[in-house]
Amino acid sequence: MNEADQQADATDRMLLERMAAGDRAALGVMYRGYHGRLCRFLSRLTRRPDVIEEVINDCFWIAWQKAGTFHGDSRVSTWIMGIAYRCGLKALRQHGDEPVDEDTVPQERLPSHDPGDDRELRDWLGKGLEKLSVDQRVVIELVYGVGHSLDDVAVIMQCPVGTVKARLFHARVKLRNVLPSLAGEPARLKEGAP
Amino acid sequence: MTFTMDTNRDCARAWEAMPSVLQESASLEQNAWLMDHLAHCQSCSADYAQQERLRLALSLPADIPVDPAVGLKRLLTRLDAPVPKPVVQRVRNGWLTRALAAAVLLQAIALGALGARYWSENNSPAYRTLSQASAPVPAGALHVVPDATMSLADWNALLHSLHLQVVGGPNDVGAYTVVPSGASATGTPTLQKLRATRGIRLAEPVASVP
Repeated sequence: MNEADQQADATDRMLLERMAAGDRAALGVMYRGYHGRLCRFLSRLTRRPDVIEEVINDCFWIAWQKAGTFHGDSRVSTWIMGIAYRCGLKALRQHGDEPVDEDTVPQERLPSHDPGDDRELRDWLGKGLEKLSVDQRVVIELVYGVGHSLDDVAVIMQCPVGTVKARLFHARVKLRNVLPSLAGEPARLKEGAP
Repeated sequence: MTFTMDTNRDCARAWEAMPSVLQESASLEQNAWLMDHLAHCQSCSADYAQQERLRLALSLPADIPVDPAVGLKRLLTRLDAPVPKPVVQRVRNGWLTRALAAAVLLQAIALGALGARYWSENNSPAYRTLSQASAPVPAGALHVVPDATMSLADWNALLHSLHLQVVGGPNDVGAYTVVPSGASATGTPTLQKLRATRGIRLAEPVASVP
Protein backbone atom coordinates (compact mmCIF):
# COMPACT_ATOMS: atom_id res chain seq x y z
CA MET A 1 0.00 0.00 0.00
CA ASN A 2 1.60 3.27 -1.10
CA GLU A 3 1.40 6.59 0.69
CA ALA A 4 -1.61 7.83 -1.29
CA ASP A 5 -3.51 4.63 -0.48
CA GLN A 6 -2.67 4.99 3.22
CA GLN A 7 -3.89 8.56 3.25
CA ALA A 8 -7.11 7.61 1.46
CA ASP A 9 -7.71 4.78 3.91
CA ALA A 10 -7.16 7.09 6.90
CA THR A 11 -9.74 9.49 5.47
CA ASP A 12 -12.17 6.62 4.88
CA ARG A 13 -11.75 5.42 8.47
CA MET A 14 -12.46 8.86 9.79
CA LEU A 15 -15.60 9.07 7.64
CA LEU A 16 -16.68 5.64 8.82
CA GLU A 17 -16.29 6.65 12.45
CA ARG A 18 -18.47 9.67 11.82
CA MET A 19 -21.02 7.50 10.08
CA ALA A 20 -21.06 5.20 13.08
CA ALA A 21 -21.93 8.26 15.15
CA GLY A 22 -24.85 9.03 12.81
CA ASP A 23 -23.22 11.76 10.69
CA ARG A 24 -25.11 11.83 7.39
CA ALA A 25 -22.74 14.36 5.86
CA ALA A 26 -19.95 11.79 6.23
CA LEU A 27 -22.19 9.25 4.51
CA GLY A 28 -22.70 11.70 1.64
CA VAL A 29 -18.95 12.26 1.25
CA MET A 30 -18.30 8.52 1.30
CA TYR A 31 -21.15 7.87 -1.16
CA ARG A 32 -19.92 10.40 -3.69
CA GLY A 33 -16.32 9.27 -3.27
CA TYR A 34 -17.09 5.66 -4.07
CA HIS A 35 -19.89 6.18 -6.56
CA GLY A 36 -17.70 6.23 -9.67
CA ARG A 37 -15.67 3.12 -8.95
CA LEU A 38 -18.73 1.20 -7.70
CA CYS A 39 -20.63 2.17 -10.82
CA ARG A 40 -17.86 0.86 -13.05
CA PHE A 41 -17.36 -2.25 -10.92
CA LEU A 42 -21.07 -3.09 -10.97
CA SER A 43 -21.30 -2.37 -14.70
CA ARG A 44 -19.18 -5.51 -15.13
CA LEU A 45 -22.03 -7.45 -13.51
CA THR A 46 -25.07 -5.81 -15.07
CA ARG A 47 -25.85 -3.21 -17.71
CA ARG A 48 -29.02 -2.02 -15.98
CA PRO A 49 -28.61 1.45 -14.40
CA ASP A 50 -31.57 0.90 -12.08
CA VAL A 51 -29.99 -2.26 -10.69
CA ILE A 52 -26.62 -0.54 -10.31
CA GLU A 53 -28.18 2.29 -8.31
CA GLU A 54 -30.11 -0.19 -6.20
CA VAL A 55 -26.96 -2.17 -5.43
CA ILE A 56 -24.95 0.96 -4.54
CA ASN A 57 -27.71 2.06 -2.18
CA ASP A 58 -27.96 -1.43 -0.65
CA CYS A 59 -24.20 -1.35 -0.16
CA PHE A 60 -24.22 2.02 1.63
CA TRP A 61 -27.32 1.07 3.60
CA ILE A 62 -25.33 -1.83 5.03
CA ALA A 63 -22.21 0.32 5.48
CA TRP A 64 -24.33 2.84 7.41
CA GLN A 65 -25.79 0.14 9.64
CA LYS A 66 -22.49 -1.68 10.20
CA ALA A 67 -20.07 1.25 10.34
CA GLY A 68 -19.61 0.75 14.07
CA THR A 69 -18.65 -2.89 13.64
CA PHE A 70 -15.76 -2.23 11.23
CA HIS A 71 -12.66 -3.44 13.07
CA GLY A 72 -10.05 -2.39 10.54
CA ASP A 73 -8.98 -5.88 9.52
CA SER A 74 -8.74 -4.60 5.95
CA ARG A 75 -8.80 -1.31 4.13
CA VAL A 76 -12.15 0.46 4.16
CA SER A 77 -12.21 0.32 0.36
CA THR A 78 -11.79 -3.47 0.49
CA TRP A 79 -14.64 -3.70 2.99
CA ILE A 80 -16.93 -1.51 0.86
CA MET A 81 -16.11 -3.40 -2.35
CA GLY A 82 -16.80 -6.70 -0.56
CA ILE A 83 -20.24 -5.49 0.48
CA ALA A 84 -20.92 -4.21 -3.05
CA TYR A 85 -19.81 -7.52 -4.55
CA ARG A 86 -22.19 -9.53 -2.36
CA CYS A 87 -25.05 -7.09 -2.96
CA GLY A 88 -24.30 -7.28 -6.69
CA LEU A 89 -24.46 -11.07 -6.72
CA LYS A 90 -27.75 -10.93 -4.81
CA ALA A 91 -29.15 -8.45 -7.34
CA LEU A 92 -28.02 -10.70 -10.19
CA ARG A 93 -29.97 -13.58 -8.67
CA GLN A 94 -33.05 -11.39 -8.34
CA HIS A 95 -32.90 -9.52 -11.63
CA GLY A 96 -30.73 -11.63 -13.89
CA ASP A 97 -27.74 -10.20 -15.73
CA GLU A 98 -29.34 -9.54 -19.06
CA PRO A 99 -28.24 -6.24 -20.57
CA VAL A 100 -30.85 -3.57 -20.79
CA ASP A 101 -31.99 -2.46 -24.22
CA GLU A 102 -30.09 0.72 -25.11
CA ASP A 103 -33.28 2.23 -26.49
CA THR A 104 -34.81 2.23 -23.02
CA VAL A 105 -32.08 4.54 -21.68
CA PRO A 106 -33.28 8.13 -21.97
CA GLN A 107 -31.13 10.06 -24.40
CA GLU A 108 -30.41 12.84 -21.91
CA ARG A 109 -28.98 10.30 -19.48
CA LEU A 110 -26.34 9.06 -21.91
CA PRO A 111 -22.82 10.45 -21.32
CA SER A 112 -22.53 13.93 -22.72
CA HIS A 113 -19.22 13.18 -24.37
CA ASP A 114 -17.60 9.98 -25.38
CA PRO A 115 -14.54 10.60 -27.55
CA GLY A 116 -14.10 8.31 -30.49
CA ASP A 117 -11.00 6.70 -28.99
CA ASP A 118 -12.84 5.86 -25.78
CA ARG A 119 -15.79 4.42 -27.65
CA GLU A 120 -13.46 2.25 -29.70
CA LEU A 121 -11.67 1.13 -26.55
CA ARG A 122 -14.95 0.34 -24.80
CA ASP A 123 -16.15 -1.70 -27.77
CA TRP A 124 -12.85 -3.56 -27.86
CA LEU A 125 -13.10 -4.30 -24.12
CA GLY A 126 -16.79 -5.23 -24.36
CA LYS A 127 -16.02 -7.92 -26.93
CA GLY A 128 -13.59 -9.51 -24.54
CA LEU A 129 -15.56 -9.19 -21.33
CA GLU A 130 -18.64 -10.84 -22.80
CA LYS A 131 -16.58 -14.02 -23.15
CA LEU A 132 -15.71 -14.11 -19.45
CA SER A 133 -17.64 -15.52 -16.52
CA VAL A 134 -18.97 -13.14 -13.88
CA ASP A 135 -16.19 -14.05 -11.45
CA GLN A 136 -13.52 -13.57 -14.11
CA ARG A 137 -14.95 -10.16 -15.01
CA VAL A 138 -14.97 -9.17 -11.35
CA VAL A 139 -11.34 -10.20 -10.83
CA ILE A 140 -10.15 -8.42 -13.97
CA GLU A 141 -11.99 -5.26 -12.92
CA LEU A 142 -10.71 -5.35 -9.34
CA VAL A 143 -7.09 -5.98 -10.34
CA TYR A 144 -6.72 -3.94 -13.53
CA GLY A 145 -9.55 -1.47 -13.11
CA VAL A 146 -9.53 -0.62 -9.39
CA GLY A 147 -5.94 -1.72 -8.72
CA HIS A 148 -6.55 -4.03 -5.76
CA SER A 149 -3.91 -6.56 -4.79
CA LEU A 150 -4.70 -10.26 -5.12
CA ASP A 151 -4.94 -10.48 -1.32
CA ASP A 152 -7.53 -7.69 -1.29
CA VAL A 153 -9.51 -9.38 -4.05
CA ALA A 154 -9.51 -12.61 -2.06
CA VAL A 155 -11.00 -10.71 0.91
CA ILE A 156 -13.59 -9.03 -1.30
CA MET A 157 -14.68 -12.27 -2.98
CA GLN A 158 -14.24 -14.31 0.22
CA CYS A 159 -12.17 -16.99 -1.45
CA PRO A 160 -8.54 -18.20 -1.31
CA VAL A 161 -5.84 -16.17 -3.05
CA GLY A 162 -5.12 -19.20 -5.23
CA THR A 163 -8.65 -19.04 -6.59
CA VAL A 164 -8.19 -15.36 -7.43
CA LYS A 165 -4.92 -16.15 -9.23
CA ALA A 166 -6.59 -18.89 -11.23
CA ARG A 167 -9.50 -16.65 -12.22
CA LEU A 168 -7.15 -13.85 -13.23
CA PHE A 169 -4.98 -16.25 -15.22
CA HIS A 170 -7.92 -17.76 -17.13
CA ALA A 171 -9.48 -14.35 -17.73
CA ARG A 172 -6.24 -12.95 -19.15
CA VAL A 173 -5.63 -15.95 -21.38
CA LYS A 174 -9.19 -15.82 -22.68
CA LEU A 175 -8.95 -12.08 -23.38
CA ARG A 176 -5.57 -12.61 -25.02
CA ASN A 177 -7.13 -15.09 -27.39
CA VAL A 178 -10.36 -13.29 -28.22
CA LEU A 179 -9.37 -9.64 -28.34
CA PRO A 180 -8.07 -8.26 -31.63
CA SER A 181 -4.54 -7.01 -31.26
CA LEU A 182 -3.52 -3.39 -31.64
CA ALA A 183 -2.53 -3.66 -35.28
CA GLY A 184 -5.97 -4.91 -36.19
CA GLU A 185 -4.81 -8.40 -36.98
CA PRO A 186 -7.03 -11.30 -35.92
CA ALA A 187 -6.79 -12.53 -32.36
CA ARG A 188 -3.94 -14.95 -31.81
CA LEU A 189 -5.07 -18.31 -30.59
CA LYS A 190 -2.76 -20.04 -28.19
CA GLU A 191 -2.93 -23.78 -28.14
CA GLY A 192 -3.07 -25.33 -24.73
CA ALA A 193 -4.41 -22.19 -23.18
CA PRO A 194 -7.76 -22.58 -21.45
CA MET B 1 0.35 -22.69 -19.48
CA THR B 2 1.58 -24.01 -22.79
CA PHE B 3 2.49 -21.63 -25.55
CA THR B 4 3.09 -22.79 -29.07
CA MET B 5 5.11 -19.77 -30.14
CA ASP B 6 7.12 -19.17 -27.02
CA THR B 7 7.52 -22.04 -24.71
CA ASN B 8 10.47 -20.89 -22.69
CA ARG B 9 10.32 -20.13 -19.01
CA ASP B 10 11.13 -16.46 -19.39
CA CYS B 11 7.95 -15.87 -21.38
CA ALA B 12 5.89 -17.62 -18.71
CA ARG B 13 7.62 -15.55 -16.05
CA ALA B 14 6.96 -12.39 -18.04
CA TRP B 15 3.27 -13.30 -18.37
CA GLU B 16 3.12 -13.82 -14.60
CA ALA B 17 4.82 -10.50 -13.85
CA MET B 18 2.72 -8.29 -16.13
CA PRO B 19 -0.21 -7.55 -13.75
CA SER B 20 1.98 -6.36 -10.87
CA VAL B 21 4.15 -4.28 -13.22
CA LEU B 22 1.05 -2.71 -14.75
CA GLN B 23 -0.30 -2.05 -11.24
CA GLU B 24 3.06 -0.45 -10.38
CA SER B 25 3.27 -2.75 -7.37
CA ALA B 26 6.21 -4.81 -8.70
CA SER B 27 9.70 -4.41 -7.29
CA LEU B 28 12.22 -2.35 -9.25
CA GLU B 29 14.15 -5.52 -9.99
CA GLN B 30 11.09 -7.31 -11.35
CA ASN B 31 10.14 -4.27 -13.36
CA ALA B 32 13.61 -3.99 -14.88
CA TRP B 33 13.71 -7.69 -15.70
CA LEU B 34 10.38 -7.54 -17.53
CA MET B 35 11.37 -4.48 -19.53
CA ASP B 36 14.58 -6.19 -20.53
CA HIS B 37 12.70 -9.30 -21.61
CA LEU B 38 10.15 -7.30 -23.59
CA ALA B 39 12.95 -5.53 -25.42
CA HIS B 40 14.02 -8.70 -27.16
CA CYS B 41 10.80 -10.80 -27.14
CA GLN B 42 8.33 -9.66 -29.76
CA SER B 43 5.57 -11.99 -28.65
CA CYS B 44 5.67 -10.91 -24.99
CA SER B 45 5.98 -7.30 -26.08
CA ALA B 46 2.73 -7.65 -28.03
CA ASP B 47 1.10 -9.32 -25.03
CA TYR B 48 2.23 -6.53 -22.75
CA ALA B 49 0.88 -3.90 -25.12
CA GLN B 50 -2.46 -5.69 -25.14
CA GLN B 51 -2.47 -5.90 -21.33
CA GLU B 52 -1.68 -2.18 -21.12
CA ARG B 53 -4.56 -1.45 -23.42
CA LEU B 54 -6.78 -3.71 -21.35
CA ARG B 55 -5.89 -1.82 -18.19
CA LEU B 56 -6.51 1.50 -19.92
CA ALA B 57 -9.91 0.32 -21.13
CA LEU B 58 -10.83 -0.96 -17.68
CA SER B 59 -9.88 2.34 -16.06
CA LEU B 60 -12.33 4.35 -18.20
CA PRO B 61 -15.29 5.68 -16.23
CA ALA B 62 -18.49 3.68 -16.36
CA ASP B 63 -20.48 4.19 -19.53
CA ILE B 64 -23.77 3.58 -17.76
CA PRO B 65 -25.29 6.83 -16.50
CA VAL B 66 -26.19 6.65 -12.82
CA ASP B 67 -26.64 10.00 -11.09
CA PRO B 68 -24.98 10.01 -7.64
CA ALA B 69 -27.11 12.93 -6.41
CA VAL B 70 -30.35 11.11 -7.20
CA GLY B 71 -29.06 7.88 -5.68
CA LEU B 72 -27.91 9.60 -2.48
CA LYS B 73 -31.25 11.37 -2.10
CA ARG B 74 -33.03 8.02 -2.37
CA LEU B 75 -30.66 6.48 0.16
CA LEU B 76 -31.27 9.28 2.69
CA THR B 77 -35.02 8.91 2.18
CA ARG B 78 -34.64 5.21 2.82
CA LEU B 79 -32.75 5.91 6.05
CA ASP B 80 -35.65 8.07 7.26
CA ALA B 81 -38.28 5.51 6.34
CA PRO B 82 -39.44 3.36 9.23
CA VAL B 83 -38.00 -0.10 9.09
CA PRO B 84 -40.83 -2.42 8.03
CA LYS B 85 -41.30 -5.14 10.58
CA PRO B 86 -41.65 -8.52 8.94
CA VAL B 87 -44.70 -9.45 10.99
CA VAL B 88 -46.06 -11.98 8.53
CA GLN B 89 -42.66 -13.48 8.07
CA ARG B 90 -42.18 -13.72 11.80
CA VAL B 91 -45.55 -15.44 12.23
CA ARG B 92 -44.69 -17.83 9.46
CA ASN B 93 -41.30 -18.44 10.97
CA GLY B 94 -42.90 -19.01 14.38
CA TRP B 95 -45.35 -21.50 12.96
CA LEU B 96 -42.60 -23.22 11.04
CA THR B 97 -40.39 -23.38 14.11
CA ARG B 98 -43.17 -24.88 16.20
CA ALA B 99 -43.97 -27.43 13.50
CA LEU B 100 -40.32 -28.41 13.22
CA ALA B 101 -40.00 -28.68 17.00
CA ALA B 102 -43.10 -30.88 17.15
CA ALA B 103 -41.71 -33.10 14.39
CA VAL B 104 -38.41 -33.45 16.21
CA LEU B 105 -40.23 -34.26 19.46
CA LEU B 106 -42.35 -36.91 17.75
CA GLN B 107 -39.29 -38.38 16.17
CA ALA B 108 -37.51 -38.53 19.53
CA ILE B 109 -40.51 -40.25 21.17
CA ALA B 110 -40.74 -42.79 18.35
CA LEU B 111 -37.03 -43.51 18.56
CA GLY B 112 -37.30 -43.95 22.32
CA ALA B 113 -40.21 -46.38 21.98
CA LEU B 114 -38.37 -48.38 19.34
CA GLY B 115 -35.27 -48.51 21.50
CA ALA B 116 -37.20 -49.68 24.56
CA ARG B 117 -38.88 -52.38 22.52
CA TYR B 118 -35.61 -53.51 21.08
CA TRP B 119 -33.88 -53.82 24.45
CA SER B 120 -36.85 -55.53 26.07
CA GLU B 121 -36.78 -58.32 23.53
CA ASN B 122 -34.37 -61.19 24.11
CA ASN B 123 -33.00 -60.95 20.70
CA SER B 124 -29.79 -62.86 21.11
CA PRO B 125 -28.63 -63.91 17.69
CA ALA B 126 -29.07 -67.44 16.44
CA TYR B 127 -25.40 -67.70 15.63
CA ARG B 128 -22.19 -67.64 17.63
CA THR B 129 -18.93 -66.07 16.54
CA LEU B 130 -15.62 -67.83 16.96
CA SER B 131 -14.47 -65.19 19.46
CA GLN B 132 -17.39 -65.89 21.76
CA ALA B 133 -17.17 -68.39 24.61
CA SER B 134 -18.64 -71.85 24.03
CA ALA B 135 -22.28 -72.39 24.82
CA PRO B 136 -22.75 -73.22 28.53
CA VAL B 137 -23.04 -76.90 29.31
CA PRO B 138 -25.81 -77.93 31.78
CA ALA B 139 -24.67 -79.17 35.16
CA GLY B 140 -24.23 -82.94 35.35
CA ALA B 141 -23.76 -83.37 31.64
CA LEU B 142 -21.93 -86.44 30.44
CA HIS B 143 -20.20 -87.35 27.21
CA VAL B 144 -21.16 -90.84 26.14
CA VAL B 145 -19.78 -92.76 23.14
CA PRO B 146 -21.92 -95.76 22.24
CA ASP B 147 -20.46 -98.57 20.24
CA ALA B 148 -21.33 -98.63 16.56
CA THR B 149 -22.94 -102.03 16.98
CA MET B 150 -25.33 -100.83 19.68
CA SER B 151 -28.90 -100.79 18.45
CA LEU B 152 -31.09 -97.75 18.74
CA ALA B 153 -33.54 -99.67 20.91
CA ASP B 154 -30.78 -100.62 23.39
CA TRP B 155 -29.52 -97.00 23.43
CA ASN B 156 -32.99 -95.66 24.10
CA ALA B 157 -33.64 -98.25 26.79
CA LEU B 158 -30.36 -97.41 28.51
CA LEU B 159 -31.10 -93.68 28.54
CA HIS B 160 -34.61 -94.33 29.77
CA SER B 161 -33.43 -96.59 32.60
CA LEU B 162 -30.87 -94.05 33.77
CA HIS B 163 -33.26 -91.07 33.30
CA LEU B 164 -30.99 -89.40 30.78
CA GLN B 165 -31.73 -87.44 27.63
CA VAL B 166 -29.53 -86.42 24.72
CA VAL B 167 -28.94 -82.65 24.40
CA GLY B 168 -26.11 -82.67 21.89
CA GLY B 169 -24.10 -84.77 19.48
CA PRO B 170 -22.98 -86.89 18.01
CA ASN B 171 -19.84 -84.83 17.47
CA ASP B 172 -16.91 -85.65 15.22
CA VAL B 173 -15.85 -88.61 17.35
CA GLY B 174 -19.39 -89.94 17.82
CA ALA B 175 -19.89 -88.66 21.39
CA TYR B 176 -23.32 -87.63 22.65
CA THR B 177 -23.92 -85.11 25.40
CA VAL B 178 -26.53 -86.37 27.82
CA VAL B 179 -28.07 -84.71 30.86
CA PRO B 180 -30.41 -86.02 33.52
CA SER B 181 -34.04 -85.69 32.56
CA GLY B 182 -36.46 -84.12 35.01
CA ALA B 183 -35.27 -83.52 38.54
CA SER B 184 -32.92 -86.47 38.71
CA ALA B 185 -29.22 -85.84 38.99
CA THR B 186 -26.30 -87.66 37.49
CA GLY B 187 -23.56 -88.83 39.74
CA THR B 188 -20.97 -91.48 40.17
CA PRO B 189 -23.54 -94.34 40.20
CA THR B 190 -24.94 -93.27 36.83
CA LEU B 191 -21.46 -92.92 35.44
CA GLN B 192 -20.47 -96.35 36.72
CA LYS B 193 -23.63 -97.92 35.31
CA LEU B 194 -22.95 -96.40 31.95
CA ARG B 195 -19.37 -97.63 31.95
CA ALA B 196 -20.49 -101.08 32.97
CA THR B 197 -23.09 -101.29 30.24
CA ARG B 198 -22.20 -103.41 27.29
CA GLY B 199 -21.97 -101.35 24.13
CA ILE B 200 -20.80 -98.14 25.82
CA ARG B 201 -17.26 -97.39 24.84
CA LEU B 202 -16.76 -94.24 26.90
CA ALA B 203 -18.62 -92.28 29.52
CA GLU B 204 -17.05 -89.17 31.03
CA PRO B 205 -18.41 -86.17 32.88
CA VAL B 206 -18.18 -82.92 30.92
CA ALA B 207 -15.56 -80.66 32.37
CA SER B 208 -17.16 -77.50 33.66
CA VAL B 209 -16.10 -74.28 31.94
CA PRO B 210 -14.73 -71.70 34.37
